[in-house]
Amino acid sequence: MADNLEEIQKSIKKYIIIGSLLIVFTVITVGLSYVELPTHGMNIMVGMIVATFKAGLVALIFMHLNHERSVIYKILAFTVAFAIVLFLLFHFSHVDPLVFKDFDATSAVTH
Amino acid sequence: MDIPFTVSARPDTGLYNAKLGIWLFLASEVMLFGGLFSAYIFLRVGADYHWPIHELPVLPGFVNTMVLIASSVTIVMAWASLKLRRIFQFKLFMAITVACAGVFMVLKGFEYNAKFHHYSVELQDGTILTGHLPQGYEIKFGEATELSLTIQSENAAMDANPVKYVFPYLEGEAPAFKLADGSEIRLDKAGFSKLKKETVAAAREKIEKRKQELVEAGKKGEADALNVVPPTTVKLTAVSPMKFSVKPSKTFGYTAESITFKDGTVVKGKLLDDRMTLEVDGVDARSVADKEKSLAWEKKYLGEDWKKVFIANRDHAQHEFKEKYGDGRDPLKSATLQKHSYFMHIHSTTPSDHAPEGAGHSASNEAPAAAEGGHGDEAHGHHPTVVLDKKDISFFSNFTPKLNTYYAIYFTLTGLHGLHVVAGALVLAWFWLCNGKLLKTNPEHLANRVEVGGLFWHFVDLVWIFLFPLLYLL
Repeated sequence: MADNLEEIQKSIKKYIIIGSLLIVFTVITVGLSYVELPTHGMNIMVGMIVATFKAGLVALIFMHLNHERSVIYKILAFTVAFAIVLFLLFHFSHVDPLVFKDFDATSAVTH
Repeated sequence: MDIPFTVSARPDTGLYNAKLGIWLFLASEVMLFGGLFSAYIFLRVGADYHWPIHELPVLPGFVNTMVLIASSVTIVMAWASLKLRRIFQFKLFMAITVACAGVFMVLKGFEYNAKFHHYSVELQDGTILTGHLPQGYEIKFGEATELSLTIQSENAAMDANPVKYVFPYLEGEAPAFKLADGSEIRLDKAGFSKLKKETVAAAREKIEKRKQELVEAGKKGEADALNVVPPTTVKLTAVSPMKFSVKPSKTFGYTAESITFKDGTVVKGKLLDDRMTLEVDGVDARSVADKEKSLAWEKKYLGEDWKKVFIANRDHAQHEFKEKYGDGRDPLKSATLQKHSYFMHIHSTTPSDHAPEGAGHSASNEAPAAAEGGHGDEAHGHHPTVVLDKKDISFFSNFTPKLNTYYAIYFTLTGLHGLHVVAGALVLAWFWLCNGKLLKTNPEHLANRVEVGGLFWHFVDLVWIFLFPLLYLL
């Protein structure tokens, strides 16, 4: 935590720069969503990468996670691990539990 | 009792207690929103309809993103100002933060309100018409003279209550009714309650009498089994015919001759009109096998001229796609092209006034946003009106969770996020306005409070950073 008053003084400028960066990346996100990439999945991927980057800026700078006590990182490590499991849950809906292979609906129709 | 470690750090954690507390809370918040984002993925992967892309008004969503980012900057500035004991700046930044929350919620309110008044009507062939119902949607039922009330003698989930469930939809005053024995009654609150009392008493008496008979005949077992008093159906005849005007959702259903209200009361008469008057602002033919034969182009609805506009719009979008990508892309696999080709937005009353869509690529992209965003009264009167036969409608709903899983998760996620905005703003407003004493006596303690409130506020911003692209853009 930036307890040092001089550091706080300096970080004020940093907060404004990060805020402007976030706005710039929001404009980029909106713009990119109108560019048609080869598949829409790629659009989603790019959008999420930009969003994750923005979220990272908020967490690291505004929430001071770039310099925190270790106990907070320990708590967050668990949170992140569980969150990733939550996001990957849907993957199981695509796996055929009998043969443990990806079930591809399109190939099932054509063959 | 003094709460320990509000200012100084606890030796073992190296943090003041509130900070550890807020991080534990935020960890649980990540799980809460994580579960809902996971639900979003499931719903999207499993959707059996065209997932809306750029369907919500992008501009208000974009402005709201800016507002939240700005408030994230101001709250961290408020904290820094307080740390540096610049009290005026601290108060100013707190005020701006709370004001930003207000702007966010007001924009959200407009957005929600537009959804409640905008309808999607699916026709039997899969065509979807979007638009407004200037007169609402009510069925007209007339020449009604017979009323069947099912009056329960025991406590039941559904009991006749025409005063609450039937007469509110009656046009004009409720007439007098004749009972089977020829006596005349008024079905106002007192009249109905008297009728109910008498009916229940008669039903009970009948059962008691039957019991008595059974006991006298030596069948005590059978008499003991008669412990439930059955409901009584009372038929009433109105002295003058009634006319109803009711939303279908306020009934259990209706036929050409009868209508069943939510209290089980059946009214016999004649269905006069159950057509829907819709001001059409969009035709989505993506789910129709033969788009040129969509029900929308029937003469009684939009007709041939609009079909020509639709075809021109489709050809334009497909031509543009081909020019842009050559043969390198499969047009059937482009969800955006499918949308631009077969989801026509209408913003004029007649086909001849309809400016060709897509003078530029972005123009056609903005159209849904404009159509959605520009609600309110000015949106009316610039669209063709069609009168839809009930038999052609397979489903209709306003843009609420009832419509599809996309709107269900949209309202769940943005609603929960909105509640977080309100809660965060209230806490920050409290630190700003009601902690004056602490500001004087122990500003470092207040700075810690603001930091912790700020951490929550940043988290709310962080959630929105993912919500905005997922719901509005992608």
